[in-house]
Order: sequence, then structure tokens, then C-alpha cells
Amino acid sequence: MRKRLGLLFWVSAVYIGVLVFLALFRDLLPIRDPDALGIRTGDCRQFQDPGWNSYFGCDNLGRDLFSQVVHGVRPALFLGFTVTIVSGTVGTLLGVLAGFLRGVFDRVVTTIIDISLAFPALVLLIAVRASFGNGIVVFIVLFSVLGIPGYARIVRGASLSLSEREFVDAAAAMGATTWRIVRRELLPNVFLPVLSFAFIGFAVVILAEGGLAFIGLSLDQITWGKLINDGRVEIRDHPHLALIPSTVMFGTVLAFNLVGDGLRSLVAPREVATARRLIAEGSHQPGEEGAVVHVRNLRTVLHTPGGTVEPVDDVSFSVAPGESLGIVGESGSGKTMILRSIVGAFPLADVTRGGTVEVAGVDMLRSPDATIRRTLGTEIGTISQNPLTALNPVRRIGDQIIEPMLVHGTRSKQEARDRALELLEQVGIPAPEQRLREYPHQLSGGMRQRATIAIALANEPQLLLADEPTTALDVTVQDQILRLLDGLRADRGMALVLVTHDLAVVKGFTDSVAIVYAGQVVEYGPTAEIFANPQHRYTVALIRSMPNLDLPSHSELATIEGAPPSLIDPPTGCRFADRCPAVQQKCRDESPVRSGTDAHSYSCWFPMSAQPVEVS
Amino acid sequence: MLMIVLRRVPRLLFVVVAVTLLTFILLELTPGDPATLKAGLAGTPEVVEELREELGLNDHLLVRYKDWAVDALQGDFGESVVYEDVSVSSRIRSALPKTLETMILAELMAFAIAIPLAIRSAQKPGGWVDRWSSAGSFGLLALPSFVLGIYMIFIFGVKLDWFPTISSDLPGLFDDPAGNLRGYFLPSLTLALNLLAVYVRLLRTDLIETLQQDYVMLAQARGIGTRRIMWRHVLRPSSLNTLTAAGLNVGGLIGGAFIIEVMFSYQGMGRILIEAVFGNDYFMVAGIVAILSVGYVLVNFVVDILYSVLDPRIRTVDA
Amino acid sequence: MAGTGKAHLRDGATLEVHDLVVEFPGPKKSVVHAVSGVSFDLNTGETLGVVGESGCGKTTTGRAIMQLEEATAGSIILRGQDLCDLRGPALRSARRAMQMIFQDPVSSLNPSRRVKDIVREGLDIWGDPDGSFSADRIDEILDAVGLGGADVGERRPHEFSGGQCQRICIARALVMDPEVLILDEPVSALDVSVQAQILNLLQQLKDRFGLTMMFISHDLAVVKNISDRVMVMYLGKVCETAPTDQLYANPAHPYSRALLASIPGHNLDLPPASELISGELPSPIDPPSGCRFRTRCPAATDRCAAEEPILQAVGDDHYVACHHPVAVSL
Repeated sequence: MRKRLGLLFWVSAVYIGVLVFLALFRDLLPIRDPDALGIRTGDCRQFQDPGWNSYFGCDNLGRDLFSQVVHGVRPALFLGFTVTIVSGTVGTLLGVLAGFLRGVFDRVVTTIIDISLAFPALVLLIAVRASFGNGIVVFIVLFSVLGIPGYARIVRGASLSLSEREFVDAAAAMGATTWRIVRRELLPNVFLPVLSFAFIGFAVVILAEGGLAFIGLSLDQITWGKLINDGRVEIRDHPHLALIPSTVMFGTVLAFNLVGDGLRSLVAPREVATARRLIAEGSHQPGEEGAVVHVRNLRTVLHTPGGTVEPVDDVSFSVAPGESLGIVGESGSGKTMILRSIVGAFPLADVTRGGTVEVAGVDMLRSPDATIRRTLGTEIGTISQNPLTALNPVRRIGDQIIEPMLVHGTRSKQEARDRALELLEQVGIPAPEQRLREYPHQLSGGMRQRATIAIALANEPQLLLADEPTTALDVTVQDQILRLLDGLRADRGMALVLVTHDLAVVKGFTDSVAIVYAGQVVEYGPTAEIFANPQHRYTVALIRSMPNLDLPSHSELATIEGAPPSLIDPPTGCRFADRCPAVQQKCRDESPVRSGTDAHSYSCWFPMSAQPVEVS
Repeated sequence: MLMIVLRRVPRLLFVVVAVTLLTFILLELTPGDPATLKAGLAGTPEVVEELREELGLNDHLLVRYKDWAVDALQGDFGESVVYEDVSVSSRIRSALPKTLETMILAELMAFAIAIPLAIRSAQKPGGWVDRWSSAGSFGLLALPSFVLGIYMIFIFGVKLDWFPTISSDLPGLFDDPAGNLRGYFLPSLTLALNLLAVYVRLLRTDLIETLQQDYVMLAQARGIGTRRIMWRHVLRPSSLNTLTAAGLNVGGLIGGAFIIEVMFSYQGMGRILIEAVFGNDYFMVAGIVAILSVGYVLVNFVVDILYSVLDPRIRTVDA
Repeated sequence: MAGTGKAHLRDGATLEVHDLVVEFPGPKKSVVHAVSGVSFDLNTGETLGVVGESGCGKTTTGRAIMQLEEATAGSIILRGQDLCDLRGPALRSARRAMQMIFQDPVSSLNPSRRVKDIVREGLDIWGDPDGSFSADRIDEILDAVGLGGADVGERRPHEFSGGQCQRICIARALVMDPEVLILDEPVSALDVSVQAQILNLLQQLKDRFGLTMMFISHDLAVVKNISDRVMVMYLGKVCETAPTDQLYANPAHPYSRALLASIPGHNLDLPPASELISGELPSPIDPPSGCRFRTRCPAATDRCAAEEPILQAVGDDHYVACHHPVAVSL
């Protein structure tokens, strides 16, 4: 989703356009000669204040400030333009090659960049200018040379990460020459970021010239820097001489920065993150006795800048102690959002939740903050998908396990430490004393996942929520982790909710299963029953599209045509209607109600048992 | 960790040598002969020639560099060719503290404002603190230091008259802290405003990105409060980019604050460097550049050490 | 398990890999032994499934064959020519005969180019020898991969889903009419239902164009579905290779058995995985002596530490590198 360019961008662009016009046509404009000494010609008094006679006032010799400023536009733009073109082109080429070729070439380029950053540019400027005078060519060459490392550095960074991407490999595998790869694969993708940096670089050139004017090293023409420097001495009595050119320069630099920034937001559309607010609507319906987690009519709405998304729509389930529930769906189905809705942890967005979520008897949507946090910390344990990012990389494992115990005051520091050791052993991590002091990156993927489980178990929760806990792991490790979770569940009588896209995992490890499609639970019941007797056609299709070891090789897999509907504007009626082989008009008109029994429920007007239509 | 740091030493030394050697070459190329300058109007060709011998100007460039380097390592940077009986090191010694003081004050001020602002902005993105500080930093970034300086002088110095606009001849920090700080306040603040714009933007972006990480979500799911998450979980991993920027800035500020020095009229390192180059003050330039590049390199060093303190992944992996 | 040995190689194969070794420099001047002496071959029209967990070297093997990684030793012979001997223009020319499909379909396409330019890329580089590749032909190939829509060619990758991007990658590869197609985890990043579509597509294309494929994956069920023969790898070596149905019915190597037993909800006649494998994956910088699997194998003996097992026949076209393979019922 590309962000549109805002009003400020266009205003700045227009302003720059005006400047370009002034630069090109300054000699044709009806303004005074900037060098004319107003005190002699009588046009302007000495130090005249801004007014109708002269818009910006006059300096100590009666020279009109307005025309001086206008004349200053051309050298500013010309210098900026030529320097940017030269240093941008050379710097980009160097950077792209350094990032792509690496090796010796890269090391040479980085060393040059390092040295040029360390070198006081001032010395170079002064020395060269002393040798060659202050004509504009000297400035162009100097600034270009000084500007190259800046471009080279950022382009190198971009080139390094682009070179890792597979499309570059693909081009090489196709037999493309290095030059072709640089030209066709790398440069076009670097173009837009460089362009945005160039605008900012342009502004830097204008600033640099101004800065040099301060030490008397200005160009041999009228420039804004020179005007500011000249006006500086009169700041007490005649501030307009310094303030006006200063403001013009500021405005120009601001305009260039805004344009550069706007272009950058085209490349990397910045998330206009909004504050996170959690709102609960509706009322709470307490669940039946005995369930550890009870969810009824849960509905979650995310208000994002891109629109309103409803990832969870009327979801209900409950899990008793010692039981495990699998929540199955494909990516984008909303299954992860269900877990997040229970714990109330969302990325930046305004979120509204309705319905009932009750854990260990506590209303998780409407209770006071402190109560919710306490329940989260002591009754619920959460495990997420990616062991790499689930642990804070800069904190020790031990500290991360101990923290929940200290924060919720369940143990003293020493007790917590002992318990941490115990937990590490229980989850099967060898050498636990050593592990306590280690950092996450020192552990393998499987070990990291075990550590995450240890953290989740710290305060002996009644409920364990596992979001795709084994997706990122090897199959042998997956088996170990799943057995570990299963064992913990049985030993401690915890309720386990396992979110996954893998039906095989569900088959092996869960008591009941909820199939999620487009934010809704389309079928729910005991696992064995669902596999033996699926009612909803999505369930059927899902089961049959999985490559399954029981099938001989080269079996054709059943596929589901089409794609799931968007959750921003879900269709009326059954959400699976467009892809269902047994669809009828009623399906599109009315949302199916939940039918079947309490034990095995489904949302379909024409389930398999009522009308067995073969899924092709 | 020590190993990583020690491995950087040769590279950093190389940079110092390269920079100082380049300076020598550059000075060689500029017109003007130091000996003639020193001899002044009284300089007959014989006197000049004698001076040339004395200053070693007839030797080959590399020999001169070597001699200079050997002396420099012992702390002797030679004498100014422009001023009578002024040793380079004494001039540096009077200028360096001023530069260091304004630089340290500026960085402290910048961080003191930037960190809370960034945290508040990241906690409530899109809120009014965030929007105003984003707009403000954007504006500050566009404001060149000399323009900002002029505004500052005009507002605080001229109109309000709260602070002096000329910072030369100030009492030492320990002699009269109040007077000293008051005198350096405006230049440090001017520097600080530019710095803080960069830091706020960088830190805010990194904080927001870290807040989206899995482990933060999990910490929230464990009922850990926002404040603790911000300060204990999020701040450290997010500070690396800002630290890099601070390092680059400090390295550059040691010699690059000349505009501020000129505007507020005090003799910091930047100012004496300009004078030295204009005046072809051979040894002065070499000495100052040497200190500047050593300073830059040292700062890089410290940044590297801080990196490995902040991010343990760097400690155990080779550079 | 060691995995050296060439008992399993056949005559007249399209692609032959002999004793491939790929090593990388590791931290502190160590050496990562990614692939250590792997040999296999591929006949025309055959699909070889290469299966193993992380660190086994299957991806590196694929990339080495494509010359995207430099082989430290060994030879890769395509239609009689050793690719490892080629350099520069000769190498680039030889690359036309092999194409690769990568794991991340979106990252495999240049975001700033149009689909039709991406698919045509091979032709643009090598020219069109008999002028037969007109725009129609490009459309035909796009149609063959299921992207026959009107202006597909004009659009850019970001407008397509993961599955569709993968189809574009396949089209790009097919335009070159390659002798060998190497697929590195081509469906791992895709949803189950999309995965099924792509697998069916590959099967159709194989039948229609007679493709020779090397299918690399960690997903055993997927590999079973698409492959004619399967090769199991562990820590840079080959453990076992056999025709698909034979391997899954009668795994002889302890590691193959452990892999299959780890699949959740399987119905195979195997003990639980916890009895078949223990411990952690050793580091590829310092792999175990002798059989690399011995540190995790329930049946390891002293011989396994001292002597590296060589691939031997245990059945019809069924080879195992193990001193104590499980008996195979024929």
C-alpha cells in the first residue's frame, strides 16, 4: 500500500519550482541590480528597513536585499544540482559494486569511506581553495569529492541486502554478466532511495556553502551564505539583514528535505502507527463450571489506517483442565488473532473486542488492568512461533525466566532462581546452571523454544497458549517439543490451546479441534470425530489437500480454487461460498448459523451429512 | 570481547596515519612557504634558507613526516610558524577544553531531551507529543547551525538578554561554574538542538520497531507493565543506531563546530584549525589534524565497546 | 552413516554428481563442512527428492550444482561436461541448461520489473536462436503455469500472491527449456491449499515437458507426493537413497526411520521417535568421526566411531550408508 504524497510535499515541490524559475530567469525579472549602491542612486537609504520601497530592506551600502536574495538563488541551485549529479552518480556506482562484488573491492571502498569520514573536510576545502581560488568549478569538484562517501555508504548498504535476495541469484543462474545484473537488477531498485537521499544531499550542499561563507570562503558571487555572514555583524541594530536570508535558506532546505522525505515514504511506506487502545464492548457471560478458558461470541475489530479489519468473528470454544484444543487455519485466517484477543497483546492499532473471554474465572476484557495483568502473569503461559524472536536477544535466559516470578511477586529472588533451574531441567535443557547465564543466540532453535516454554511455565499457569510452536523447527525437534507440551499438560493438568496450520499436528496431539476460516470457526468438535466425519466442506478440502503419507506417491492432491476473502470487507453470507463446490443461493444470502450438536458443531447450511456432494 | 576490540586497533591506527599523511601532502601542495612566512618582512633569502634548514623543509616529504610523527608521539608537535614562540601543543591545550566542554554539554542536553521525548512518542505514536516532536525535529534538521545560531543570538542574546553572545575569555569551569556555564550555554544549546533532532527521530523509529517484536508481545502477554517493558526490554536493543549517530557526531564535532565557534567568538579547535590553514601554519595544522583524527578514532573505539556491552550477540561473534 | 560411496550411481544419467564437497570459512578461521562427499545422479524425466533437516547440506548441494556456491572439490557432470572446470563465458553458457526455483517466491522476483520482462529474461540474455520465441510463446508458457490472464505480463510482482509468484518463477525457468530443474523448498513458504496447487502443477508440467527435477524439501509428505526417488541427507552426507514408495515403506537407515517416526499422526509401522533419535545436532564445524549420525543413534557401536560407512545395496535400487541397517523386507 503506497502512501500518498501529502500537501506539504506538493507545496515544497512548487516552492522549488519557483526557485528554479528565479534561478533561470533572474536577469529578466523587474528587480533592481543587486550591486547598485542605493546610497548613490537614491533608490534605497542605508540600512533601510523592509517595506514597500524595498521588500527586504537594504544593506549598509543601500543595496537592495530582495534582489540580492533572488540573485543568490542561481548559485545555490546550480551548485547543488551539479554536485548532486556528480557525487550521486559516482557514489552510487561505487556503492552498488561494493555491495555486490564484496571481497577486496568492498574493503577498499569501505576503507576510503572510513578515511574520508575521519578527515577534517575543512582542511581539504581551505587548502584546495587556497591553491585554486574560489571559482564555482573549484567548489563543484570539492563538494562532489566530499559527497561521494555519503552516497557510497547508503547505496552499499542497500546493495548488500539486495544482493542477498534470490532474484539476484536467479539472474546469475540465468547466465547474466555482472554488468547486466548491476544494471538491470540492482540499480533500478536503488534508484528511488538514492533519489530521496539526493534531495537531502542537495540541501546539504546549500548549507555547506553557507557555512563556508562564515570563514570567508564563499563563492565569488552573491550567495545566501555571504549575505548572512555580512549581516551577522549588524544583528543588534539591523537584524533584517541576517534574519531574512537565514529564513529563506531555512525554508529552502526545509522544502528539499520535505520532498526527499516524501519520496522516501513512497519506497518504504511508513506505518502511520496509532496509539494502542483496547476497548471492550458488550457484556460478559460467565462460562460453565470447570472450564479453564471459556470463549463465547468473541469478536475483534482492528482499526488500522488502512481500514477496519475484523480478524475474529463470533468465535466460541472452551477447554477444561488437562484437555488440549487445536485451532487450525491457513495464514490470514485469524487463528493467531484469536490468541492475541485472549491475552490482549496487539501491535499498534486501536482494537475493539466484544463477547466473552474468561480465564480461571476472570473476565479478561473488562476487568481492571491490574487484575488482567495478574491473571496473564500467573494463570496463562504463552508460547509463540519463532524461537528466534520470542526471546529478548540482549538479556540473559535466566533473567527472562525469573522476571515473571518477580514481577508478580510469586517468589523471592533466591526461590525464583532455584525454580528457574528446575524449569530448565523439566523442559529438557542440559547443563541448566550454565544456561541461566547464557544469551538466546547461544542456544539452538529447539533449545530456545524449550526456554520459551520454561518462561511460560514459571508461575505454574492453568492455561498454555501455543501459537505455531513448532513451525520453525525441524521435524525431529518438532516431535520432541510436541511431546514435551503434551507431557506437561498431562502432568500438571493444564489446558492447552495449540494454534497451527498443520492438520497432522492436530491429529496427533489434540483432543478437540476448531477449524478457522476467514475469522470464523466453521467447525468444532472432538479431533477423532472431525477427521472421521467432517461436515464443513472447507474441513473436507483441507484434509484432502494435505499431502499425506498414507497416499501413494504421485497422487493428485485436491485443491481449493480461489483465495480466502479479505477481512477488511467480508462478504455477506457464508464466507466460503465462492470456493465451495456445493454452494447454493441461500449460502450467499444468509450467514449460516451454528448447527449440529454442542459436541460437534459446524456453520453450514448444507453440511456433508445432509447433502454429500463429492469434493473434486 | 577484548579480542574484538583489540583487533580494531591496527585498522584505526591506519586511519590516523592515512589522515595525517594526507594532510602533509595537502599542505605540500598549497602555495606559500612556511619559512618565508616566519621570516616575515625581514627575511632575506639567506635567513629564509636558514629557516628552511632548521624547520627541515628541504627534506623529502616522507622524512619530514617520519620526523614529525616521532616527535608527535612524544608530545612535541613543534612550534607555530606564524606566532612567535608559541608551541603547537600549548595552543591546542588552550583550545581543546573549550571544544570538549561545549561538545559534552551539547550531547548531554541532546540526550536528556531526546530520550524521554522518543520514549513518549513511541508509547503513544500519533499522539500530540509524537506529532509535535516529529515536526519539530524535522524542522530542526533543516535548520543549519549558523541560522539557528543567529536566531538564538537574536532571541536570547539581543532581545531577552539572558545569555552572553560572546563566549570568549570565560572563566574556567572550576573557577566559576555559574559564569562558565552561562557563557557556554547558547553555543552548546545550538549544537544540542541539531543533535537532538537526529536522536529523537532515530530512537523513536527504532523503539517502535522493537515494540513490534515478538518478545515484547510475549512480555505483554505475561502481564508485565508498559513502563517496565519500555525501560528494561525495549530501550537497550533499540539504542544501537542512535549510538552510532552519536559517535559520528562526536567525532565530527571535535573539529567541525567551527561555525558555532566563529559565531560565538571563542577559540575552539575548529577555529584555530581554520586560522592555521589560512596562515599556512604548517606544524599547527599537522598537530591539530593529528589530535582530531586520534579523537575521532578513539570515539569510534568507545562506540565499539559500548556496542558489545549493549548487544551481547556482538561479543561472541567475530567482527 | 557417512554417505560416501558411489555404488548407487547409474550409467548414462543426465546429471551426475561425484564426491561433491562444499566448505565455508567459519568464525575464528574454522571450516564449516556443509557438504562432505555427496554423490548422486539424475536420469532424464526423473524427480529426485532430497530430504533432510537443517544443516544437512541439501540446499548447499543444490546451490553448488547451480554454481551459485563454489564447490571445494568434486565434479558435477551435465551431459558429459564437468561444470566445475568451467569459468567465465563457458560457465555462463552452460548455465542455460539448469534452472533453479527458490524458497521465497516474492524475493525471487525483481520488484521493479514487469512480469513479462522477468519471464523473458533468459531470452534477452541469450538471444532467440530460431526466432521461435515470440510474445505468443511467452503467453503460452504463462498459460501453462496457470497464469493465462489478459494483462498478467504488464503487472509487477507485488500485485501477486505467493503462489502466483512461484508460478511466475516456474515460467521463467521453463522459458529456458532447461535440462535440469532444481527446486529448493519451493512450497515451504506457501499455505497448504496453495501448496497443493503448485505440486499438482509441477506434476502436470513434468508430464507435459518431460522435466528432470531435483526437489529439495524438509517436508517428508510433500517429498513423497512428488518424487520418483528419494535421497536422505544428514550433516553433509547421504544416508539412504531408494525409490519413493520403497523408502517410505521400508526405511533402512536409523535416521530415515527417526525422521519418518517424527511426523505427527503418521500411520507407519515404527516405534516412537524418542526411541529412534536422541540429543542435538552436532556442529558442522566439528562433525563426529566415522558415522556422523552415531552421536544420536540408538544402534551405534564402536565400529561406527572408527569407520565411516559406505553406501551399499540393501534392496533393488535401495542403498544405505550404515553399519547396522534395519533389515528391509522385499
